[in-house]
Amino acid sequence: MAADVIALHDLVFRHPGNHHPTLAIPELRIGAGQRVALIGTSGAGKSTLLRLLDGRLRGWSGSCAVLGRPLDPDSPPPRLWRRSVGFVFQEFALVERETVRQNVLNGRLGHADALWSLTGRFGAPDHAAADRAIQDVGLDEFAKRRVDRLSGGQRQRVAIARCLAQEPRIVLADEPISSLDPVTAHTVLDLLRNSAVDRRATLVISSHQPQLVAGYVDRFIALDRGRIVFDGPPNAIDETQLSGIYGETA
Amino acid sequence: MTTAKGKSASREEVLHQRDLEWQRGWGQFLLSVVIVLVVVWSWNGSEIELYRLAESGGRIAEFLARMMPPDLSVLPVVIESSAETLRIAILGTVGCIVLSIVLGMLAATNLSPSWIHVPVKAVLAVIRGIPLILVAMLMVGAVGLGALPGILAIPFHATGMLAKFYAEAIESVDPAPMEALESVGATFLQKLRFGAWPQIAPDILRDTLFRFEMNLRESLILGVVGAGGIGFYIQMYVRAFQYEKVATLTIVVIAFVVLIELANNAIRRLLR
Repeated sequence: MAADVIALHDLVFRHPGNHHPTLAIPELRIGAGQRVALIGTSGAGKSTLLRLLDGRLRGWSGSCAVLGRPLDPDSPPPRLWRRSVGFVFQEFALVERETVRQNVLNGRLGHADALWSLTGRFGAPDHAAADRAIQDVGLDEFAKRRVDRLSGGQRQRVAIARCLAQEPRIVLADEPISSLDPVTAHTVLDLLRNSAVDRRATLVISSHQPQLVAGYVDRFIALDRGRIVFDGPPNAIDETQLSGIYGETA
Repeated sequence: MTTAKGKSASREEVLHQRDLEWQRGWGQFLLSVVIVLVVVWSWNGSEIELYRLAESGGRIAEFLARMMPPDLSVLPVVIESSAETLRIAILGTVGCIVLSIVLGMLAATNLSPSWIHVPVKAVLAVIRGIPLILVAMLMVGAVGLGALPGILAIPFHATGMLAKFYAEAIESVDPAPMEALESVGATFLQKLRFGAWPQIAPDILRDTLFRFEMNLRESLILGVVGAGGIGFYIQMYVRAFQYEKVATLTIVVIAFVVLIELANNAIRRLLR
């Protein structure tokens, strides 16, 4: 069995002022190279869990180790760790006035020299990684175009390319298809899965569209009010369980 | 029953609406009366005599005739004093930029805590309220005649406005790309350089150019109070009744302002 790249134990997180925990996970392990979908309704804790795994959540209790490094609930992880964990943001989080290429190169900031890069110059390995990522997401012809002149689907592909340029060992994607039409959503999911497989990276996607993501992952983790209510292969979840998680909307 | 209640409620709403409209109508009428009274007070207090204006038509024509033809012998003086005006505006703007970067960051609500940004914003508002000509007179009194009081007066006066613009640009930064860059492993300086700066650069450059243009216009008249530049010669020739020379200076000032305006417009187009 593959080594665990994510290991949570007795993890609890409450938003300030909330009595009910946003996350309460007694045990969770994800092996290297797995492709996992976090499913559940809005507010189930999917995005909070992804932020935790990305090292950006503070004030939790319990233990959380990612890529073998125990995270500290009170301080951010070091730069070398952060560059190994890629994150695809729901609303893309791109620098709108910059070109596709510059946004993808920004994914190399964790690798680039901290001072030299301030001049705007990146090394050959950074350019090569950015070129490959742009090519992988099929945006070669748009590389010099400003991001604010792209469609929603193209922007999401830029966000994925930025993440891939990082050469991460884990890819975390927060609702990457929530604002996309079904055809574009399949393209993006395909891209995420293939890129993760090519790079032997672990993939964790959050989504409230389980039917759409089922074909792209090998494990479903369903969250309901911060607790894991299902953990298994996508084909093991039935309509009754989905109805229990999503109510009438399933 | 429900219908009756609904009708009653909507009738009350209509009456309330009428009441509001009536109050609004009275408010507008009273405001109009106050505005008319203020204008009448200003007119009477200023002792404006229209017949004097009508009678001075000939004198105005004679005054304009005395400006013709413009005396080009002052061109060397004009060129040197224009260059001094430009130097005052450039150095004043540089000082203003340095102060505005620091004060703009301190005044930005998303960078500084309220116990810093509230007083800094108040100080900037006070600075904006002090007229440049007054600051220039004080500086002339403090450091003497010449370009130096102008170079000192401009940053003091202009920082109140430019720092406010810088603070507003910083406050408009979208935090999402900054968070994304933190996630990829960027350092604090890398986040500022690649996340914040591209977002605010066009606004900062546009505001700085606008302020430079204003500084240049204002430095043209600083010489009137002895703070260097072309304004000094304008007031000198006016007092000596050498209107042909004043005409040359006026033409150069207009050309100067138009050129700067054109250059600024071209640069702004590039920044879009």
